[in-house]
Amino acid sequence: MRVILTAGPRKNPFIPVEAETIVPARFLQGVDGITVAAGNRILPLTDVFLVEVEGTAADPSGVEVVLRGDNSRLKRIGEYMEAGKIRVEGNIGMHCGNFMKGGEIEILGGADGWLGREMRGGRILCHGNASHYCGSGYRGEKHGMRGGYLEVRGNAGDFAAEYLAGGEVVIRGDCGDMPGVEMKGGTLTIHGSCTRPCGNMTGGTCTVLGSARGMLPTFRRTGTVVHEPGGVILTRFEGDVANRGKGTLLAREWQYTL
Amino acid sequence: MIVRDVICPFCACLCDDLDVHVEDGRVTGVDNACDLGSHKFMTDHRMKGPVRRTASGWEEIPLEEAIRETAELLEAAERPLLYGWSGTCGEAQSAGVHLAELVGGVIDATTSVCHGPSILAIQEVGHPGCTLGQVKNRADVVVYWGCNPQHAHPRHLSRYTTYADGFFVRNAFKERKVIVADIRGTDSTNLADEFIRLQPGGDYAVLGALRAIVRGKGDVVPPEVAGVSREQLYRIADLCKTAKYGAFFFGMGLTQTAGKYKNIRNAIELVDELSRHTKWTLTPMRGHFNVYGFNEVCTWMTGYPYAVDFARGMAFYNPGETTAVDILARKECDMCLVVASDPAAHFPAEAVEHLASIPVVQLDPFPNLTTAFARIQIPVAVSGIDADGTAYRMDGVPLRLHRVLDRGYPDDAGILLEITRRITGGGSR
Ligand code: SF4
Repeated sequence: MRVILTAGPRKNPFIPVEAETIVPARFLQGVDGITVAAGNRILPLTDVFLVEVEGTAADPSGVEVVLRGDNSRLKRIGEYMEAGKIRVEGNIGMHCGNFMKGGEIEILGGADGWLGREMRGGRILCHGNASHYCGSGYRGEKHGMRGGYLEVRGNAGDFAAEYLAGGEVVIRGDCGDMPGVEMKGGTLTIHGSCTRPCGNMTGGTCTVLGSARGMLPTFRRTGTVVHEPGGVILTRFEGDVANRGKGTLLAREWQYTL
Repeated sequence: MIVRDVICPFCACLCDDLDVHVEDGRVTGVDNACDLGSHKFMTDHRMKGPVRRTASGWEEIPLEEAIRETAELLEAAERPLLYGWSGTCGEAQSAGVHLAELVGGVIDATTSVCHGPSILAIQEVGHPGCTLGQVKNRADVVVYWGCNPQHAHPRHLSRYTTYADGFFVRNAFKERKVIVADIRGTDSTNLADEFIRLQPGGDYAVLGALRAIVRGKGDVVPPEVAGVSREQLYRIADLCKTAKYGAFFFGMGLTQTAGKYKNIRNAIELVDELSRHTKWTLTPMRGHFNVYGFNEVCTWMTGYPYAVDFARGMAFYNPGETTAVDILARKECDMCLVVASDPAAHFPAEAVEHLASIPVVQLDPFPNLTTAFARIQIPVAVSGIDADGTAYRMDGVPLRLHRVLDRGYPDDAGILLEITRRITGGGSR
């Protein structure tokens, strides 16, 4: 079953729309009764989107939701999703794939903040850039992402994979400030560069294949490793010593200055 | 007439020893206050009554009409923002939180542009705080990090630290060691026994290095960290570890530089590490006299200290998403009620630009830069001068402010309740 949601024009396109109802499983019961919240008003899904349904499905894994039009203010899609697929043909707003457990989200454009927040399983692939807190936790939460696979083909903003506790985060481009801060497990791979990675980390592995500027003074250098494929030589650090940490940070180039 | 023991409603020191001279319904003099405090008491440029913008200027309107129009604007809005709150008392803040819930709006305070990051850090690792009286009577080492109390909280040093003799610190000026960390020399760094001059953005690294040294892992620390030598870091770690009682104060130089709440978290964890050796506490140098109060009021009412979004009927909190600057910069809100603050003076240009394109109602005793963007302004009494109210000092101690004179202005709590009554039609909804 394919559900195509095309965002229509809105009187005030800047008001965010919260749509935790947009998960594949929900469409098995039909479109009737599905609502979203635009600011402080609750609206039927059909007021915001042109909805087209093709075919049928027996269970959520057979449902693909396709989002078209301007969805840059659409928040919380795929929240708690367990199976099926969401394909966003453009940009998506904040909190896409919150607490996701299974299934797949593919974003052809960019994603706003908190992409894959506290994700537990499944796959997210973002072809564009992701904003701040991608693959991280909610404010004050002790665990960020715990499982699953999150890949950003573009760049990520600040605090990517904050509190990472499990699963795999891959950023093909650069990261902003403090990726992997407070991380305690899982793996974070940054193909580009970043500043101040892994402050306060206690576990897990972060690999920076570009350069790490503003390297924190509280990591112990423990030799080098050869990274495959490519045979690149990376400096190996252990830390964060300030936090009795036992995490691993690997960096191709690094410097203490910002 | 002299009114004694008046509390100063300017900064979050809330000095409670002012003598205010009142004659013919005017303040003629203030004793004991610093310049900032006396200026607030002496300022006389109040607006007469509510005004509404017209095509060519302003017209005076009855209070009744100003309230009705504000209520209508709030009700019509799909994403109203209720912002400010740090310059008024807890009673008005509480009425504001109720109103935000009623209209499904977002309520945020100036906290989000000053010590919001401190609260985020406290939510992660806790707050080893104490009252200022403890500092005055016990602290023999005081840290001021990223703040300039000589200018922002002028009586902090004379009431609680350097110049304040305490029960266990008999000769404060001699016995108290002061450490000041800043990126440049200031009137406060001039008083320091140790001045940590760090490169901009270097706070996180320096605090982390201090933590490692205090833990006995100083061998990993490179010879220089963000412009600070390892020798000085060792010296400071020693000074802090051998203190009988240490007090760590910090300001926006720590909260608003790169890393923001992670800087504060590192400071808290340093204090935590030091407390394995001796006693250390940490206190944010809150700015406006009752900005802490908003965090208290909002927390006991909603569970969250600021940036609360009621769009879905329940409280949702996520600084970065539900904070005023972000909401304005994203052009989300379609109406803004500003109470006791001046966002136009402090917000980035893109946020102020959006203010110019939506209806703004302002409740403030004085005209300010935000007035230029307001559709309606309702002048109100000043808490602590011509209105009573409760305010929280920077250490979280609530103090009751009393009016020293009556100038006939309505107080903002009353106006907010009246707006609420209009919207509910008198009953509760
Ligand atoms: S230090 Fe602050 S509270 Fe004390 S008198 Fe000055 S402005 Fe008022």
